[in-house]
Amino acid sequence: MIKIAQLSCGTEYSSVQYEIEKAARTVGANIVHPDVSASEINAAVERFGFKPQSPQLRLMIARAVQLADKKYDADAVFIATCFRCAEGALVRNELRRFIQDNTRLPVVTYSFTERLKAQQLMTRMEALVTIVTRKELLARERQSGITAGIDSGSSTTKAVIMIDNRIAGKDWTPSGDVIASAEHVMENALRQAGVKLKDIEAIGTTGYGRYRLGKHYNAKLVQEELTTNSKGAVWLADRQRGEATILDIGGMDNKAITVRDGVPDNFTMGGICAGASGRFLEMVSKRLKIEVTELGALADKGNWRNAKMNSYCSVFGIQDLVTTLGDGKTFEDVAAAACHSVAEQVYEQQLQEIDVRHPIIQVGGTSLISGLVAAVGEILGSKPIVPQNSQYIGAVGGAILSSGFLEGM
Amino acid sequence: MSAERETRIIVISPASDITPDQVTRTIHSMGRKVTVKESCYGAVLEGERDVVREVIAEIRKLDANGIFTKVRAYHAGDPRRCRAHHGTRPGFAQLEQEWGDLWKIQHGLDCADRGEKANERKTEEKLSVERFKKICEVK
Amino acid sequence: MKVFIDPPNSLILFDLVEREGHEPLSTMAAIQEKMERTEIDMPPMNISLEDVMKGLKYAGIEVPSGVRGRLAVWGPMIESAEAAIIMEDCPYAFGCVGCHRTNLMVRYMIKKRGIPVLDVNYPNDEDQARDLVVMIRQFLGGLK
Repeated sequence: MIKIAQLSCGTEYSSVQYEIEKAARTVGANIVHPDVSASEINAAVERFGFKPQSPQLRLMIARAVQLADKKYDADAVFIATCFRCAEGALVRNELRRFIQDNTRLPVVTYSFTERLKAQQLMTRMEALVTIVTRKELLARERQSGITAGIDSGSSTTKAVIMIDNRIAGKDWTPSGDVIASAEHVMENALRQAGVKLKDIEAIGTTGYGRYRLGKHYNAKLVQEELTTNSKGAVWLADRQRGEATILDIGGMDNKAITVRDGVPDNFTMGGICAGASGRFLEMVSKRLKIEVTELGALADKGNWRNAKMNSYCSVFGIQDLVTTLGDGKTFEDVAAAACHSVAEQVYEQQLQEIDVRHPIIQVGGTSLISGLVAAVGEILGSKPIVPQNSQYIGAVGGAILSSGFLEGM
Repeated sequence: MSAERETRIIVISPASDITPDQVTRTIHSMGRKVTVKESCYGAVLEGERDVVREVIAEIRKLDANGIFTKVRAYHAGDPRRCRAHHGTRPGFAQLEQEWGDLWKIQHGLDCADRGEKANERKTEEKLSVERFKKICEVK
Repeated sequence: MKVFIDPPNSLILFDLVEREGHEPLSTMAAIQEKMERTEIDMPPMNISLEDVMKGLKYAGIEVPSGVRGRLAVWGPMIESAEAAIIMEDCPYAFGCVGCHRTNLMVRYMIKKRGIPVLDVNYPNDEDQARDLVVMIRQFLGGLK
């Protein structure tokens, strides 16, 4: 059983402890609390250097020190504090850094409300467990044989056929019925690759519909998207060695993953407010009566400073847009402002949860919106790499990782 | 067990000569309808509320000022509290700390029994700005 | 009389209040009641989403859920308390009293009730421990 050490404050009184443990159990892990005696707490806090007023946060620090000193054995770390608690947020983030500086344990942080359900944590927990249990598979740098990857996302469904470490066929479609959408893109990708479904030696599925598709196609690999996306991204960007940050601004939730030699070691996945999602850009395009594919080029010609848009909420964001257009601002400026607004919020809400490592590899469908990539680059201080086929990362990751199951056959 | 169940932890002051074993044996010998488990600090006692309280009153007689007790939320042996399952719960560190200081409270109780009075509480005041200024000026 | 103790999970305060023949209002007793609710299965403390929502009576939605959940446990106890003892500067305070902001609110709520309150400091030495015990005895003895 994989042991996930929980460092937290407020989970029991928020009625979410049960959900955390349920999510861990579902992916084959057990939540543990590193043992610490009262006499060790003050010394641990002194050593850490941050002395919070709340005693439970001090206990969290002492537990982290136990892990750093290898006095307590765990495989991964889950750090959680209440949403809207400033003291908790500071400690949570600094402890995450401390764990990363002092251990090689994968870590994920989370700020919860009382509404947290196990389902929301599943992908994160599954990714933590994968990092621990599938190290060899994750270290895989090449695809071999004939394999397919299907990414059933909230907005689009993508399929990729790979043959001997190259993409031989690919297709995408807006997501409708999970199976029908997947069959549609698979058919086109197979035709492009010149192979039949029976020729496929292994299939990897990822995204929201991964379990259904996994069953439907008898997939060798059914994997959450944090893992497949990071693998797909480093392969597409040819950054298998060294460090990088993978940024995927998705239709529903955003992922930021830091990788070391192609293996993820920290990630954040969020999306409480839709103002920071790809969906918001779709809404903006609709209001501007253009295709979302045209938004990027339009934004490139505009200046975000000329139009004020910075709402966390997509509804208020559209209200901003309407007001701005009413003021006579140009479509170009408004498009640029919308892209800047999304990038800014991703930075404010999510990238604070990880330590951004350069280069930044921006992927997913939204990485094709050039104005958004430019906005991310402006905010982060260096232009992100957008690899070719960047919208196919999940599917590519699925195809690469599933080929790992072919060896020895 | 009914809503009337009560679970108690009995904690022995580090300055007391009583041992956890003595406490549990004494409870067993009372023949009351309770369950008792020895712990490193004393014992965990469980039963119907009235019976538990009567047992506590008897146990205190072993060392009136050296035996302490409080209600425990969880049943004895409840896996939700079990240290072996997933490590200590936060309250454990607190209990450890309070146990370590019980000798002071025991001493306080002994003094109170002898009729000693409390000293007036002195609150330390911060140096006034005027005074601090003068000190700085002298230098 | 019902005496609310702060920290509400303190062994020392619970014991001293009970010794003097009063009923200590503590977290443990409140959680013990929740443990008996077999219709709810939310381990480890059986605090449900409804409980956290009850905390809205004491603090708004902009306040973290952990604070509201804690206040939902202690609020009703403070409302039913006839007296209270508050111990400051405790070297311990983990678990249920782990949130400093909640602890500040709890003390405020006690003071606002207008019930007799004894403020004491955690003893650093034997003399202070004697003072603590004597003061608590006097306070509890004077409650009618």
